[in-house]
Amino acid sequence: MSAPAARRVEPVAEVPISVTVNARAVEAVVPARQLLADFLRDDLRLTGTHVGCEQGICGACTINLDGEPVRSCIMLAAQVDGSSITTVEGLASEGLSPLQQAFKDNHGLQCGFCTPGFLMTLATVDPDEYPGTDGIREAISGNLCRCTGYGGILQAVRTAWNRVEDG
Amino acid sequence: MADAFVLGSRPVYTGTHVTRRQDDALLSGRGAYVADLRRDDMAEIAVVRSTVAHGRIAAIRTAEAAAVAGVIAVITAADLTDVSPYPNFASAYTQTPGTFPLAQDKVRYVGSPVAVVLAENRYIAEDAAELVEVDYEELPAVTSLEDALDPDSPRLFEHWPNNRLLDLQPDDSEAAAILAGNRVLRRRYKMGRHTAMPMETRACMAEVRDGRLHLWCTNQHAHIARTTLSYVLPMAERDIRVVIPYVGGGFGLKQHLYPEDVVASWLALRHGRPVRFVEDRAEHMIAAAHARDHMVDIEAAIADDGRILAMRVQVVQDLGSAEIFPGAWCPALTTAAHMTGPYDIGHCAVSVAAVATNKTPGGSYRGFGVPEAVFALERFIDEIAAEVGVDRLDLRRSMLLQSEDLPYKTASGALLDSGSFAESFEKVVELGEAAHRRAAAQHGTDQQSRVGVGYAVLFEGVSPTHHGASAHWAGHESCSIEVLPDGGVRVASGVTDQGQGTTTFVATLAADALGVPIETVEVELADSDSTPYGLGAFGSRQAVIGGGALLLAAGEVRDKVKRIAAHMLEATEDDLVIEAGRVHVAGSPEPAVTMAAIATRAVIRTMDLPPGMAPGLEATARYEPELMEHVPDERGRINASASYANAAHAAVIRVDLGTGEIEILDYILAHDCGRVINPPIVDGQIWGGIAQGVGGALYEDLRFNDLGQPQTAFMDYLMPSALEMPEVVIKHFESPSPNTPLGMKGVGEGGTVGPAAAIGNALAHALAEFNPQIRETPLSPAVVRAMIPDRGAAT
Repeated sequence: MSAPAARRVEPVAEVPISVTVNARAVEAVVPARQLLADFLRDDLRLTGTHVGCEQGICGACTINLDGEPVRSCIMLAAQVDGSSITTVEGLASEGLSPLQQAFKDNHGLQCGFCTPGFLMTLATVDPDEYPGTDGIREAISGNLCRCTGYGGILQAVRTAWNRVEDG
Repeated sequence: MADAFVLGSRPVYTGTHVTRRQDDALLSGRGAYVADLRRDDMAEIAVVRSTVAHGRIAAIRTAEAAAVAGVIAVITAADLTDVSPYPNFASAYTQTPGTFPLAQDKVRYVGSPVAVVLAENRYIAEDAAELVEVDYEELPAVTSLEDALDPDSPRLFEHWPNNRLLDLQPDDSEAAAILAGNRVLRRRYKMGRHTAMPMETRACMAEVRDGRLHLWCTNQHAHIARTTLSYVLPMAERDIRVVIPYVGGGFGLKQHLYPEDVVASWLALRHGRPVRFVEDRAEHMIAAAHARDHMVDIEAAIADDGRILAMRVQVVQDLGSAEIFPGAWCPALTTAAHMTGPYDIGHCAVSVAAVATNKTPGGSYRGFGVPEAVFALERFIDEIAAEVGVDRLDLRRSMLLQSEDLPYKTASGALLDSGSFAESFEKVVELGEAAHRRAAAQHGTDQQSRVGVGYAVLFEGVSPTHHGASAHWAGHESCSIEVLPDGGVRVASGVTDQGQGTTTFVATLAADALGVPIETVEVELADSDSTPYGLGAFGSRQAVIGGGALLLAAGEVRDKVKRIAAHMLEATEDDLVIEAGRVHVAGSPEPAVTMAAIATRAVIRTMDLPPGMAPGLEATARYEPELMEHVPDERGRINASASYANAAHAAVIRVDLGTGEIEILDYILAHDCGRVINPPIVDGQIWGGIAQGVGGALYEDLRFNDLGQPQTAFMDYLMPSALEMPEVVIKHFESPSPNTPLGMKGVGEGGTVGPAAAIGNALAHALAEFNPQIRETPLSPAVVRAMIPDRGAAT
């Protein structure tokens, strides 16, 4: 058995993009195949966006694109031309946001690798649409955490959302 | 424990919720993990991995890949002429895989690294890696432990007599004699193959500065990694620096020094450029350590009332290809050491085999052999109760160790010096029965489901020797403490932090042991250049052993602080207290001298020190627990851990008879890790441990087909999300060990080791009318559905 038949690597095309990242205007020329996560991390040095699976499953790379949570690992940088992006670095102008503070106060993180993804998912959520602790579970069900068992995260969100513990 | 291990006169942080020092950075995206490190001239690698499970390498063609623009080098094992195989220090009782960083001659699992492309960036490296052609002469694959035990199975290593890396048969004549004269029950239990799956994959970056190799990596041990690199590269240890920055979860998987760490280092040395490797998740599924995959055969002599009189056990661990360092057989030994559980079972003889198969190498994972033992034994006890017709709770009560039985030496040699085995069990029974009644009341009329409650009670060795895994390192930890002239404190220790909160406990204990504000304590971990040699993170050891070293060093510093202060205050040392960075006579806050004044005198104005006192205000200490044993006796008995935590688990579940799906309604855990340093961190360890245990019990499954091809992609590897993870009720017991610093015991694994057993027993309870055989994990819906008559055929 042998490896797949050899083929030459094609030259990559480049695409100019104009995008707002954390309220800052960015003009760039990116390889057409460059992942959005790599553009943010490698070109803009916004390494708070973490890549956990490159398959859109784990949620660690979640950012906000025009107010919606998206997986930056399965989007191309070329797709965000004309858009506005917020990453975890843009969540608070200084210090910690109330949600970030609640994560700290309630031990809502351990290794911290998945944490930016949770924060960026929650940043777009209307709490009224996710009542109770079951609602919080639903809201964060697209983000995987391997350290906390979610207990600290649920408590952090209950605190941030002024929700009496109902679990 | 000796008075050497004490906090200062007025501890204010220990036992409270000190928030973690890294959290501001981690929450705002400023925590730099290895993949976040970059250098302007950095190159990256991509690994060409074996596509066959077992085969001879006939040819590797790299020229086309090497010609791609941006490719710097393409290397194979043949290029690593100056590299040594990983050592095997256990050759007296194991076969030697002779693991080499890149495959030589043969591949033994899909994912085995065969060639490496070094390029300007990962995109180019991956493009070129696809152009590397490897010809294999395929060989029949060994894909299960049953096949590997067959003496006629194809051999992975031609120089071994069979596929058994380890085969220990202790004298079992005592147990055999008891079995011969009593009713005997036999059962076989298996725990499936799963893995730690940290959210951060493996990564490393190697850089050469002034002739020295600097390696930033996701390992759990800065010093063991440095030493291992020095053996393999080989290279003088003084010329290597290993740094472990923020790590996105380790759970044991990152204990191993992987081939990519070696190859990246070699390439950085050879090419003079920083070299980074960041594993992608698809690689992680096949190339990072797998775990579990055990079979446990129990034969037990049973009394009329069901009590176990003696056990003869065979543990078999499927190692995968065994090409990993440190070697991966130790979980099987750990299973053996936990087979009696916290029960008074006087005779237990365990034979252990660890076999090589054509699958990803097994390695370390939280729990490390204990979940396998707990699942087998606790299921077995429920099966005995059903067989003999006694109550499963009463059967446990009749065998559980009571406080008056302690200290107790198990048949495997573990010294249980303290614990709350019976008390923790009764607590979860009380809460578990109540939760079950609630569940039955709520769902009892539902003909499509059944509810059940199951229990598991266990002890787990924590803070163990490293010797079982490496046959080289033992069990010590280190700490250096220096008070700077302004009174600030620098603490450097060999322990490491993968997110557990190690940094915070070090600061907490140091502040309390020295009597200084925690804000004035700087903690330095996981840099082999600036920390004393230590063994780092494994086996829930860091608070116990690292804490012990810290308290010893702090005690030396504290004594000297008091001697200097006594001189300055013209008081007696024994009358002094240190609090909030000031030293004064107990009961009179003034006059006082500050830590800054004392330290200034100790290292600057040394002419003002008491006559004859040496300058300096610092100490380095190492701690190795006296009772920890590293080598078993002639009958295989060993007290391999410095302490033993205990826990009792209860799971209340609802089983859907149509789908076979298990819903966890309540999960209750009573845990005893002795003295608690930081309650939320302890609870976080327990919650996270349970989540990983639940995943292994119900969902997570790494499957291979008969060709040895992996069948589980990340998408199919079902880790619990917030929807699957139940609320957990945690009850704490504190039985301080008389033999550990502050009575501490490790907490990292107690949540992980019980869920398979508790859920398995809950399932047996829920489906009792069908008399199900619950002897394997994971208990996936398909497996459960097959236990239900008239519905099992449905697909």
